[in-house]
Amino acid sequence: MSIMQKAGSVQFRDVVKKYGSVTALKPLNLDIQQGELVTLLGPSGCGKTTTLRLIAGLEAATEGTIYIGGKDVTHLTATYRNVSMVFQSYALFPHMSVVDNVSYGLRVNKVPAKEAKAKAEEGLAMVGLAGYGERLPSELSGGQQQRVAVARAVVLEPEVLLLDEPLSNLDAKLRRHVREEIREIQQKLGLTAVYVTHDQEEAMAVSDRIIVMNKAEIAQSGTPRELYNQPNSAFIADFIGDANVVDCEIVGFGEGTVSLNVGGATVVLPYSGPTCQHGKLAIRPEGISVSQSATNGIAAGVSYAAYLGNQIQYSLNTGMGKLFAIDHNLSATVVPTGTEAFIHLKEEGLAFLPEA
Amino acid sequence: MRKTIALWLAAGIVGFCIFPWYSVDSGFWSFSWLFSEFLSEDAAPALFQALLYGRWWFVPLALAFVGIALSFAVLKDERTRAKALVILSITGIVLLFAQGFAIGRTGPELFNDALNFGSAASGQIGFGAGAMLTAGALLFILTTSISGLGQGRGDAFIVGSIGLIIALVVTFVFYPVSQILIRAFEASDGSFDITAFFTRFFSSDIWSLACLAGGKTCGPAWNSVFLAVLTGAGTTLLGLAFALIATKTAFPAKKLLRVLTIIPIITPPFVIGLALILMFGRAGVVTDVLHEMFDISKSRWLYGFSGIYLAQLLSFTPIAFLVLIGVVEGVSPSMEEASQTLNATQWQTFKNVTWPLMRPGLANAFLLGFIESIADFGNPLVLGGNYNVLSTEIYFAIVGAVADPSRAAVLAVVLLMLTLSAFIAQRLWLGKKSYATVTGKADSGQHSPLNPALKWACYGFALPWAAFTAVVYSMIVFGSFVKLWGYDNTFTLDHYIRAFSVSFNNGIRWTGVAWDSYFTTLTISTMAAPLTAVVGLLTAYLLVRQKFAGKNMFEFSTMLSFAIPGTVIGVAYIMAFNTPPIELTGTSIILIIVFVFRNMPVGVRGGIAAMSQLDKSLDEASITLGANSFTTVRKVILPLMGPAILAALAYSFVRAITSVSAVIFLVSARHNMATSFIVGRVEHGEYGIAIAYSSVLIITMLVAILLLQVVIGQRKLRRQNRLQTSNKNKELASA
Amino acid sequence: MKNALLGGLAAVGLLAALPATASAEELNMVCGAEQDWCELMARGFEEETGNEVLMVRKSTGETLAQVRAEASNPKIDVWWGGTGDPHLIAAFEGLTQDPGVDTSELLGWASNMHKISNGGTVGIYAGALGIAYNSEVLEERGLPAPACWKDLTNPAYAGEIQVANPNSSGTAYTELATFVQLFGEDEAYRLLTEIGKNVNQYTKSGSAPSKAAARGETTISIGFMHDMVKLAGSGFPLKIVAPCEGTGYEVGAVSVIKGAKHPELAKQFVEYALRPDVQSRSVEVKSFQVPSNSKASVAPESPDLASIKLIDYDFATYGERSTRERLLKRWNEEVKNASH
Ligand SMILES: Nc1ncnc2c1ncn2[C@@H]1O[C@H](COP(=O)(O)OP(=O)(O)O)[C@@H](O)[C@H]1O
Ligand SMILES: [Mg+2]
Repeated sequence: MSIMQKAGSVQFRDVVKKYGSVTALKPLNLDIQQGELVTLLGPSGCGKTTTLRLIAGLEAATEGTIYIGGKDVTHLTATYRNVSMVFQSYALFPHMSVVDNVSYGLRVNKVPAKEAKAKAEEGLAMVGLAGYGERLPSELSGGQQQRVAVARAVVLEPEVLLLDEPLSNLDAKLRRHVREEIREIQQKLGLTAVYVTHDQEEAMAVSDRIIVMNKAEIAQSGTPRELYNQPNSAFIADFIGDANVVDCEIVGFGEGTVSLNVGGATVVLPYSGPTCQHGKLAIRPEGISVSQSATNGIAAGVSYAAYLGNQIQYSLNTGMGKLFAIDHNLSATVVPTGTEAFIHLKEEGLAFLPEA
Repeated sequence: MRKTIALWLAAGIVGFCIFPWYSVDSGFWSFSWLFSEFLSEDAAPALFQALLYGRWWFVPLALAFVGIALSFAVLKDERTRAKALVILSITGIVLLFAQGFAIGRTGPELFNDALNFGSAASGQIGFGAGAMLTAGALLFILTTSISGLGQGRGDAFIVGSIGLIIALVVTFVFYPVSQILIRAFEASDGSFDITAFFTRFFSSDIWSLACLAGGKTCGPAWNSVFLAVLTGAGTTLLGLAFALIATKTAFPAKKLLRVLTIIPIITPPFVIGLALILMFGRAGVVTDVLHEMFDISKSRWLYGFSGIYLAQLLSFTPIAFLVLIGVVEGVSPSMEEASQTLNATQWQTFKNVTWPLMRPGLANAFLLGFIESIADFGNPLVLGGNYNVLSTEIYFAIVGAVADPSRAAVLAVVLLMLTLSAFIAQRLWLGKKSYATVTGKADSGQHSPLNPALKWACYGFALPWAAFTAVVYSMIVFGSFVKLWGYDNTFTLDHYIRAFSVSFNNGIRWTGVAWDSYFTTLTISTMAAPLTAVVGLLTAYLLVRQKFAGKNMFEFSTMLSFAIPGTVIGVAYIMAFNTPPIELTGTSIILIIVFVFRNMPVGVRGGIAAMSQLDKSLDEASITLGANSFTTVRKVILPLMGPAILAALAYSFVRAITSVSAVIFLVSARHNMATSFIVGRVEHGEYGIAIAYSSVLIITMLVAILLLQVVIGQRKLRRQNRLQTSNKNKELASA
Repeated sequence: MKNALLGGLAAVGLLAALPATASAEELNMVCGAEQDWCELMARGFEEETGNEVLMVRKSTGETLAQVRAEASNPKIDVWWGGTGDPHLIAAFEGLTQDPGVDTSELLGWASNMHKISNGGTVGIYAGALGIAYNSEVLEERGLPAPACWKDLTNPAYAGEIQVANPNSSGTAYTELATFVQLFGEDEAYRLLTEIGKNVNQYTKSGSAPSKAAARGETTISIGFMHDMVKLAGSGFPLKIVAPCEGTGYEVGAVSVIKGAKHPELAKQFVEYALRPDVQSRSVEVKSFQVPSNSKASVAPESPDLASIKLIDYDFATYGERSTRERLLKRWNEEVKNASH
C-alpha cells in the first residue's frame, strides 16, 4: 500500500470562536491522539461543525491556539494545513470525472500527473470503486459518491481526516454499511480522524472516543462505555442512550462509592468524584426489572405495556415519578397495562449525577 | 509571501528604471523606447528622468523603493517586515500620485511657489507604462504585506484582488465623479462657493412645482422623478404579467414572447422613439388612419410625457421581465400550497407567502426601471417636446449654445442624488440579503396554473403590448428599406448600400460610411466584454465567498456606478482623464474603461446570483485539498459559472454597443462608435440610414449572443444534465 | 501565488500598453456639418495630400464643450463646419489659433469673420434664416401661407409653429439676434412673445423644426433655408419663405485649435477648405449653403443670397458672451414664460 499516512495529533488550547456577537465556541481544550478516531457528538447548533472547521483552517480562531502534529497552525489557512475533509454534501466537483476529483488535491500540490492518477486509482480501489474513474459524480449513487469523497480526502495522506456528518445523506441501511467501511479504512491506515455526527448510535459504533458537546462547550469526553456507564450530567445521561433522571437523597460517601436513597430503597454505587450535597440518579430503561410476582421492591403502576418483538416496553408510575423501562428478556411474561407491580433497580443500569 | 513580494518588487524596479514613465507617442508596443529612445526625454524611465532631466520629484519615490528593498532584505521578523512594507508602499503610492497631480502639463498645479524649481516649470505629461507598472507593483506589495499581517485569512490573492478592485473603482468611478462634484461647487469665475452651490442646487429652475399649481411645467428634477416612478411601476407590472404568462400558463407562443422581450434590450437608442413618431406623430401612419376613419383630430400628444413614457415602457419592460421571471419561478408552488393546506385564504397566502417572496424581485425590477428611466437620454431627446428631464438638461447644459458646465455639474449632482436615494431606499427596504431570495431555487418544474381571472388579466395586459412591440419593430425594419419613411415608401436598398457598401477593385475596400464606426464598435465591445466579466465576477466572488472588514462599503461602491447616469459619467470622464496624470481622452482605452465600469455592477449581480447557487463546500473542498484560492477560482468556480459568464459577457457586449449617453462625449476621430454615428444621422433627419445601421447592429448582437451560447452554452448544457440545475440560467437573467 | 502574480502582471501590462497616442501624419478633424459633406472633405483632402484624416462628426455644441475641456491638451487639430457662433466663441476664448491663410478671395462676410476673431476662425459658407411650411398640412388646415416674420403672430397659427430654443440651439440664437437687429430689442421681444403663443414646441436642436415640418409633425418652422432646401429636395412637401422684412444668416466656419498637434497639416486643410473648386463640390452631397469663396460656383437650388434681403449681421456684438447672456436671460423671462 503506497498510500501512507502521516497521522498527527490535534490540540486546542483555549480556543474561542465568535461570529459577531454569537459565541459559537466557549474556551475549548481538546486533545486528539495520533491514530485515534474521535467523534464530536451533540445536538444541532452546539458547535461541532465550527470545531471541525477550525481544525481544517476554514475558520480562524477568535482566540487561542491550535496545534496539529505538535505544530502551531493557528494562523495557517486551510490551503497550507495538511488536513482533509469529507463534506456532508460530499462536495464532489461536478465538472470533473471521479478520478480527476480524487487526484485533484495531488495535482494542485504539484504531484506529477501520472503519479497522481495512479494514486487516485489506488484510492478508488481502496473504497471499492476501481473502474469507476471515468464516470462523472452525477453518474454514481449516493453511497458511491460518499466513498469517492473519502478516497479524495485520504489519498492526500492528511495528518487529520475530518468528516462532517458524512452519512446524513444516505438511507438507514447504507449508513451502517458505509460507517463500517470508514472505520475500517481509518484503522487500516492508522488515520487520525475527527468525525462529526448528531446520531449517538453512529458515534458509539465508530469511535475510539466520543466528545459530547453542548451549548458551545464540551459536556463530557470518554470512550463509548464510559459515557454510557458514567455520565457526568443529566444531559449526557439522556443524550447517550435513554435515561430516567430522578431525584435522590444522598445518604453518604464511602471509599469510591456513594449511597443513595431512592423511592425508599437504598443503592450503593461506585463513585469517585468530589462529595456534594445534592444529586440525581440516572436510571437506564434496561436497569429496571418489572415483576408482578415479586413481593418487595418499589411499587409501580403499569400505565402502558407493549411487546415489540425484541423487547418489552413499559411506562410506569412510581413514587419517583414516571419511569420508562425496557425488558430484553423476551421469555418473561408481559405485565399487563393497568396492573400493579414491583420494580427492582439493577446496579449496572444506574449512575449518580452529582450537582454542585 | 516573500517570493510574491520579491517578484512585485522586481516588477516595480522594472517600471521605475526601464519602462518609459510617460506615455510614448510611438506606442508601447513599438518598443522604440527600449532602444533608440531609451534615454530621450519623452521615453526615459523615471530614474533617468530624475538623473538626466532634472525631474527631482521622482527622488522621494525612488527613496520609497529603496526603503522597500532594504526592509525586504534586512528585516527578518515576518510581522515587522510586513508592517514596514505596508507603510512604505502606502508612502510610495501617495508620492506617485502626489507628483502626478502636483506637476501638471504646464508646470506645478498645486503649491506653485514651493514646487516651482528645477524642471518643474516645463511640466510633465500623463502616466505611461512605467508609471502604471510601478503603481501596480506598489499596490500589490501593499496588499501582499497586508495579507502577511494576517488580514483576509493571510491570502495574498484575496487581499490583492480586493486591493485591485478598490484601486480600479476609486480611479475610474470615484475620481471622475469627484471631478463633477468639484465643478458643481465652482462659481463662474472659478472660485469655490458653497452658498452659490446651494442656491443653484435648490433653484426653482430645477425643482419648480409649478405644474401642480396649474402652471406650465415643473422643474426637470420633478419631471424626471415623476416619469421614473411611473416607468418603474409600469415596467414592473408589464414585466410581471409577461413573467406569469411565461411560467404559469400554457401560452403557446412563449418562444416568440421571449424574442419580443429580448429585442428591445439590444436596440440602439432613438430607434424606438423614431418608430413611435412615424406611427403616432401628428403625421404618423396610425394618426392618419384614425383621422380618416374616426375623424380623430391629429395632435401632438406624443411629444412630451406621454411619448417618453410609451417609449420607455417599450424599452425597459424586458428588463423587468428578465428580473421577474426568476422571481416568479423562485416562489415555489409547494410553499403556496403549504400555506393553503394550513387553511390560509388566498389573500392570506398572497400576503404572507407570495408577496414577501416576490417583494425583493419586484423592488429590484422597480429600481431598475426607475434608474433606467431617470438616466435615459435617447427617448426624451427625440420625444421630449416641452417636457424637460434632467438627463437632457445636462446634455444641453454642456453642448448648448450657452454652455454652462457648472450648471451641468449641479444637475448631475441632483440626478446622482435621486438615483442614489432610490438605490439606498431599496437596500434599506430589502435588508442586506436581497439577492438570496431573488435567486430562490425552484423545487419543482411544475408550477400551479394561474387562477383564470388572473390569467386573463395577464393576457389582456401583456399580449396587446407584445403585439404593439412587434408592430413597432416591423415598422423599424420597414423604415430601413424605404426611400423616405412616411412619404416615399418605395422599396430601396440605398440606406444599406450607403452605410455598408464594399468595393472590390484592388482588394476589398470598405467604402460604406458606417464601416469605420462599426469596426471600432465591435473591437471595443469585444475588448470590454471579457474585462467586464472578469472584474464583475471577481468582485462577486469576493462578496459571496470572502469575509473582510468593510465588505458592505465595498459592495456599495462597486454597485455605485450603476446609479450614475451615462451623461454624468461621460462628462466626468472628460473632466478627469484629459489631463495628466491620467490622460486617456481620444484613446480607445477610455471607451473600454467606461464600459467596463458602467456595466460591472451587472456582472457583479449575475456573479452573485450564480455563486450563491454553487454550494460553498465546493470551494472549501478544494481549499482543504491544498489548492489556494486562485486555483480554486480557476479550476472549480469558473468552470461551474458558465451561464453567469455568458450572461455577463453578453450583457456587457450589448451595452457597449447600444449605449450612447456616456460615449457621446468620449468618442474621437480615431475611435468613433456606432451609436454616436447614428445620433448624428438622426440629428440630420437621415432616419433611413440611421435605422438601417441600427438593424445591422441588432443582427450583429443577435449573432454574437448566439455565438457565445454555442461556445459557452455547450458546456452549460452538458453540465445541466449532470447537475440538474436547469433553472440556473433564468436566475442569472434575473440578476 | 505565481499564477496570481502573472494574472496581475498581465492586467497591468494591458493597462500600461494601451494609452499610445497617434503617430505623426494624421489630421484630427471634428466636423460640424452633415456626415456626407464631412466625408467628402476628409476623403478629398486625403486623396489630394496623401495624409490620413481622422474625422468625427459632432454637433458644434459638443465640439465647443470638448475643445474647452481639452484646452490644456487638445486632441483636435481642425474644426470644420457648423454654425459660426461657437467657432467665434472659441476664438474669443482663445481656444483657436490663426492658421495664417490667404483670405483675399473670400466674400465680405467670410473675411469679416476672420477679422473680428483676429484670425481665430474663417468663414466657409453662409446660410440665411427662413420660414418653411408644409404645404399639405397648411392646405388641410386651411391656413394662409406666411410671407413675413410678423405674419407668424397670426392667432390662426396657434400650435402650428415650431422653433428651436436659443438656450440650446445656435440656429435659434441667430434668429433671436436677427429679430433684435431687425426690429430693435423691445419690439423684437414683443414679437417673439406673440409668436411664442403659437409655438407648439421649443426644440433643443436647430434643425429639428424644419424636419418636423417636412414630416407634417408641425405646420410651420423657422430655421436655415439650406436645411429646408435639402428636405424639400428629398421629397417632402416643404415650401420655403424668405421673410419680407429681411433676415439674418449664419456663417459656417473653420478653425484651427490652439496647441494643435499638427498645425502645418491643419493649415493645409484650411487652405484646401477655402479653395473654390473644393467649395463648389458641396452640391454633390446636397448641401445648399452659399460658399465663401467668391470664385466658387453656387448650386442652382441654393437660396440666392442676392435676392434675399439680408441684414448686416453684427457677429462681433451678438457673438459676445455678455450680449448673449443678456438676450437669453430676457428671452427666458419674457418669451419662454409667456409660451404655454
Ligand atoms: N457563519 C456563521 N455566522 C454566524 N453564526 C454562525 C456561523 N456558523 C455557525 N454559526 C453559529 O454557531 C453555532 C454553532 O454552529 P455549528 O458549529 O454549525 O453547529 P453544529 O454543531 O450543528 O455543527 C450556531 O449557533 C450557529 O448558529
Ligand atoms: Mg453541523
